[in-house]
Amino acid sequence: MTTFLPGYPFPPNPVLLFGLLLLAGIVGGELVKRALRLPRIVGYVLIGLLLGGSGVNLLDAKIAKESWIFVDIALGLVLFDLGRRLHFNWLRNDRWLLATGLLESGLSFGCVYFTLTYLGVEAIYAAVAAAIGVSTSPAVVLLVAQELKAEGQVTERALNLVAMNSVIAFILTTMLLSWLHHVYRASWTMIALHPVYLLGGSLILGYLASVAAIQLSRWIGKHAERQVVALLALIALSIGAARMLELSVLLALLAFGVFSRNLDERHDLMAVDLSSVGQMFYVVLFVVSGAKLQLVELMTGGVIAAAYVIARFAGKSIAVMSLTYFSGARAGSAGLLCIALTPMSGLALAMVHGTANVYPDFGAKLGTIVLSAVLILELIGPIAVNFALNRAGEAKDAVA
Amino acid sequence: MSDAEMDFAPSTDLSIGVELELQILNSRDFDLARDAADLIALLEKASIPGAVKPEITESMVELNSSIHKSHGSLVAELKTIRDAVAQAAQRLNVRIAGGGSHPFHSWADRRIYPTERFNHLLSLYGYLAKQFTIFGQHVHIGCPDGDTAIYLAHILSRYVPHFIALSASSPFQQGEDTAYQSSRLNTVSAFPLSGQLPFVQSWEEFINYFNKMKNFGIVESMKDFYWDIRPKPEYGTVEIRVFDTPLTVERAALLAAYAQALARHILTDRPLAPSRDVYVVYNYNRFQACRYGLESRIVDAYAQRRVSMKDDVLETLAVVAPHATELGNGEALAMLREEVAADRTDANWLREIYRERGSLNDVARMQSDLWMGLDQGGQMKSGRES
Repeated sequence: MTTFLPGYPFPPNPVLLFGLLLLAGIVGGELVKRALRLPRIVGYVLIGLLLGGSGVNLLDAKIAKESWIFVDIALGLVLFDLGRRLHFNWLRNDRWLLATGLLESGLSFGCVYFTLTYLGVEAIYAAVAAAIGVSTSPAVVLLVAQELKAEGQVTERALNLVAMNSVIAFILTTMLLSWLHHVYRASWTMIALHPVYLLGGSLILGYLASVAAIQLSRWIGKHAERQVVALLALIALSIGAARMLELSVLLALLAFGVFSRNLDERHDLMAVDLSSVGQMFYVVLFVVSGAKLQLVELMTGGVIAAAYVIARFAGKSIAVMSLTYFSGARAGSAGLLCIALTPMSGLALAMVHGTANVYPDFGAKLGTIVLSAVLILELIGPIAVNFALNRAGEAKDAVA
Repeated sequence: MSDAEMDFAPSTDLSIGVELELQILNSRDFDLARDAADLIALLEKASIPGAVKPEITESMVELNSSIHKSHGSLVAELKTIRDAVAQAAQRLNVRIAGGGSHPFHSWADRRIYPTERFNHLLSLYGYLAKQFTIFGQHVHIGCPDGDTAIYLAHILSRYVPHFIALSASSPFQQGEDTAYQSSRLNTVSAFPLSGQLPFVQSWEEFINYFNKMKNFGIVESMKDFYWDIRPKPEYGTVEIRVFDTPLTVERAALLAAYAQALARHILTDRPLAPSRDVYVVYNYNRFQACRYGLESRIVDAYAQRRVSMKDDVLETLAVVAPHATELGNGEALAMLREEVAADRTDANWLREIYRERGSLNDVARMQSDLWMGLDQGGQMKSGRES
């Protein structure tokens, strides 16, 4: 009699969790959109905060940990999509755009690093925190652009700058691992080879995936629906392989995107749209990243968070404001680009998570420095991008 | 518009000028982009001959040549403009393409270029305004006076099917093969003031007609007539507007050279008198030309018989050859004759590419490679960078 009934409390499972997170996100996003007229992403994050440790603690640390698989898939999709936006030809034809990307990454690193050390943060923490701050959240910029159906120079340039600063942030954080290993007195092989393995391995994985994608597409032919499935298969495979091989999921997928765009000389890959598939993972990504954030930390680390946010914005803005004039962008777009580069979110969390995997106590302390800033920028970021793209007249329904 | 603005400003006999409406594509999937304002702003910084202007939607840009006496200087200038435009486009990571239609864009995605006139057209014509994202070449031919312009326009009407067949480059629309060589003109036909010049015989008669239309409140200026051929008094020209924008500026210049030689034949030999019969068969011939191009059979209203389009074009090329030589267009027309004899048309090229590649995105990409002079990797071919 009792055997066919489920035990109580009902045993949860990942699919149930996925559905719940998605549902919560959709409701939160809709409420925020209707009540506050803010981008839906803000709602996803807020509902995450509400359900997470800072709120009713329905998504406790254990459950949030289980959901990292969805976060991996979501970030993998985002970074692949972003990588496909990075077009080497453009950087060749508008070298000032390339210069802007390099300078804004360099300056935001420098500004954050010096501000944090000035405030008494240890150098190694300041450096890794600054490296993470180099990146702009690709998920936020891509998603807001998609939600607005935005198209135009500010949107495209912002996405290319995000792609560049994401690449640079990965390289910096990975290289800093050597320093970190040194601080933790790891063996010299660790110090010397771990970053090489991470960078080299992830890049090779991304490269192989892109070659496979191009060959497979050539064989399949110009059939968008089949090419999408093939790509999704390779994306899932790459994410899984990166996990399995202890490589960087983020860098591997970004490399996959970049290579598949720039190595496809015969144009075998169609410009397939992954956004409809990606959408549901993105929603979950933001809910989970909201749940990971702690309001309490904002209370304690408020000053550092504020300084971090301001220094980062200053570094990015000085570079963008001084170089955009020389690029092909129209007058007035530099300020909007600065604003569009504000967001931080799941990518930064994943990078913190990455270091925490290696040295948990380092990750925990790094978290107190970075996560408060991420909390601020995850909420302000979507609003900033929304404002910038609308003001640029590039949203589909914007009044130009 | 005051009467003075309808005064026919005489211009140099048989001078030519060209306007080209071009497509702006993104370089991701080669759908239409929305970067007209940025492109125009960037080109304003460069000093290029002619002019660059916005068109009704943000996915279009119009290039104007200056006034020329013959094919040689025209094609040289068009190439200079093209190179400058292609370079500017590359800095914005967009593509520029010729062709009368974009193969797969969706008209509902288009946005009106924000000027008062274009917004007015949107409020007046509704969805037709966005569907008007089609791309034509206009050729202006200078006339000494209004009466000459009216005469020239009537006789050129007999050759409208030639212009359509020679320029046809819009076989695809909205992601479908339309079965037409030029599908663009079907879109023009939807407008209430499209069609032909009324059968007036002098500039004075034409002014009377215009004033009547203006007093009825139907039009405000000549711009409101979307005729296939219309006089343009402020330039002192007859403007032929039925050409699809060809895939290259070289082809655009050839077509202008043909129109110029034909006009010289018409105005010096005065071979024909205006005939109502031309307008009786006009829409039939126009349809045939759009649908079948050089393969069509049209009705010669003067000879009162059906003729093969290709033969008719080749015969006309032979008739105007001496005039072309006089104008310095001899070589150009010989080249055009070769193309016609070999059935090399832009519409055929586009269909061929589609058969080869199986993707309209690739068609759009290669259309822009061709116009901009890019290699397969999307970089300018050597020797083209200035």
